[in-house]
Amino acid sequence: MMEATSPSTPRRAWLVRTLQASVAASVAAIFYPVVRFLWPRRGTVSSAAEVVAPFTVAQLKSLQEKGEAPPPFNFDNKPCLVVLMPDGDLRAYNGICTHVACTVTVRPGHGDIFCNCHNGVYDLNGQPVSGPPPRPLEAYKVFRRKTPSGQEEIVVSRST
Amino acid sequence: MSLAALDSPPNRPRWTARLKEFLIDRLGLETFAELAAKKRVPIHRSTVFYFLGGMALFLFGIQVVTGILLSLYYKPSPDQAFESVRAIMTEIEYGWLIRSIHSWSANLLIGVLYLHLLTTFIMRAYRRPREFTWITGLVLLAMFLAFGFSGYLLPWNQLAFFATKVGTDITGGVPLVGESMLLLARSGEEVTGDTLARFYSLHVVILPLAVLAVLGVHLYLVQKHGMSVPDAAARRYGGPEHVPSMPFVPHFLLRDMVGWYVALGLLAALAALFPWELGTKADPFGAAPEGIKPEWYFLFMFATLEQTPSHVFGLENKQAVVLFFSLVGLVVLAVPFLDRRADRGGPRPALSFLATWAVFAFVVQTAVGLGLLHFGLSVSVFVSGALAIAFRLLMLWWCALDRRRMSA
Repeated sequence: MMEATSPSTPRRAWLVRTLQASVAASVAAIFYPVVRFLWPRRGTVSSAAEVVAPFTVAQLKSLQEKGEAPPPFNFDNKPCLVVLMPDGDLRAYNGICTHVACTVTVRPGHGDIFCNCHNGVYDLNGQPVSGPPPRPLEAYKVFRRKTPSGQEEIVVSRST
Repeated sequence: MSLAALDSPPNRPRWTARLKEFLIDRLGLETFAELAAKKRVPIHRSTVFYFLGGMALFLFGIQVVTGILLSLYYKPSPDQAFESVRAIMTEIEYGWLIRSIHSWSANLLIGVLYLHLLTTFIMRAYRRPREFTWITGLVLLAMFLAFGFSGYLLPWNQLAFFATKVGTDITGGVPLVGESMLLLARSGEEVTGDTLARFYSLHVVILPLAVLAVLGVHLYLVQKHGMSVPDAAARRYGGPEHVPSMPFVPHFLLRDMVGWYVALGLLAALAALFPWELGTKADPFGAAPEGIKPEWYFLFMFATLEQTPSHVFGLENKQAVVLFFSLVGLVVLAVPFLDRRADRGGPRPALSFLATWAVFAFVVQTAVGLGLLHFGLSVSVFVSGALAIAFRLLMLWWCALDRRRMSA
């Protein structure tokens, strides 16, 4: 009976609409703080504009001559790789593979940068050579700086 | 297709009807529909008491949701627990709201459960065939008290640290196995990071699973036996089957939901006006904080522990108190079997008097725990007993008055 009369009783329809609107407003009021709560908090680690590598140019050189590479270090909360090119140039990369975000390894013996996860290969310039990586590695600015003790340290800064 | 579209009512799209039919058919929803249609709620003077169980269920739901949310940021280790709760209160957006609602809702839940227990006793709803509903309800109450106790430690603040120390120490008062229980509860001789991990597991894994199981049985029994009708209402209408009733779905459920909505508003208001405190980080070698007290629902035991002399009948203070409250618990558990005239609707003067006394003792002891009254143990026993006698006499006079009015 209620259903039969509802189209012709605007007061009842108005009540129903008001109830529906109140329920919708309540649901929104409940979910809004929950979604805001779930959202990750803003980063608490400040990202430095530049960072000094934990090894010197000489140390990097001797490691690479043995066919080894130093482990990646933290720059801007990302693993940073530094490569000493055969011509003596330095290169620094964000070590996160452009395929699915594994951390890549420098292989001085092979003269390439390799990703263990899906056999992605980059050359020492960070360009993808074979395997799944779709884009080159992100490059950072890198330069040498003389320390008072006469060592050459490696300074990495953001590319922009 | 076009013919079918013409047949269907104009303001209801055809696909919703088909979806409904599909779901009913494939999921067997008609079983639930039949159950829902059968469930009815009696209408009488005490109908309002029937809301308490549903209210407890709703508050438990709030605890589950807010608890899961808090677990996303909480870190259960002595190095990080306090800091992570502080981050929830200060850094995470609306973290203060979620945590405060969790704490307030826990307190309201225990309060509602105490009232649920009391009103079930008053309505004598534990009578045959509802003995197991009563017993599972008491088990659930014990579990929720354990929930409150274990959750209290998790922020790892000074108050919680000592509350846990004292609370677990009391288990050492259990005869024979006390010492082993104490070691088991603390995971060692002292309250340490292992205790925190243990309480965390208890609070978020063990108790929730156990509560879901027992709650399932409790709700099944409520559904199976239907709502109990108090004697007075049954007499008034000439038998419990003649008491008027309303369908649970949707009439009573909608009333339930109004209550839940009000409770949600109350929780939000309490959380906004009185956000839960965090205190200072636990220092195992610091002194117990001044004026340290447990939550209100444990205060009556706390006060009794304080008032009881160091030795009673050759028992140590905490042994005597643990023994006493264990006996009280057993008596409450046995109520359906102690009320032997329940079936014939006969009176239960001894039980009623003991229950009245217990309620007054609870109130008096809570006031003592709050520091509002400064009574010794014997004064507490005497005052609550006297209040109980006075209350029973008042009730007798009231009933006599009622009967005279009825016969006149």
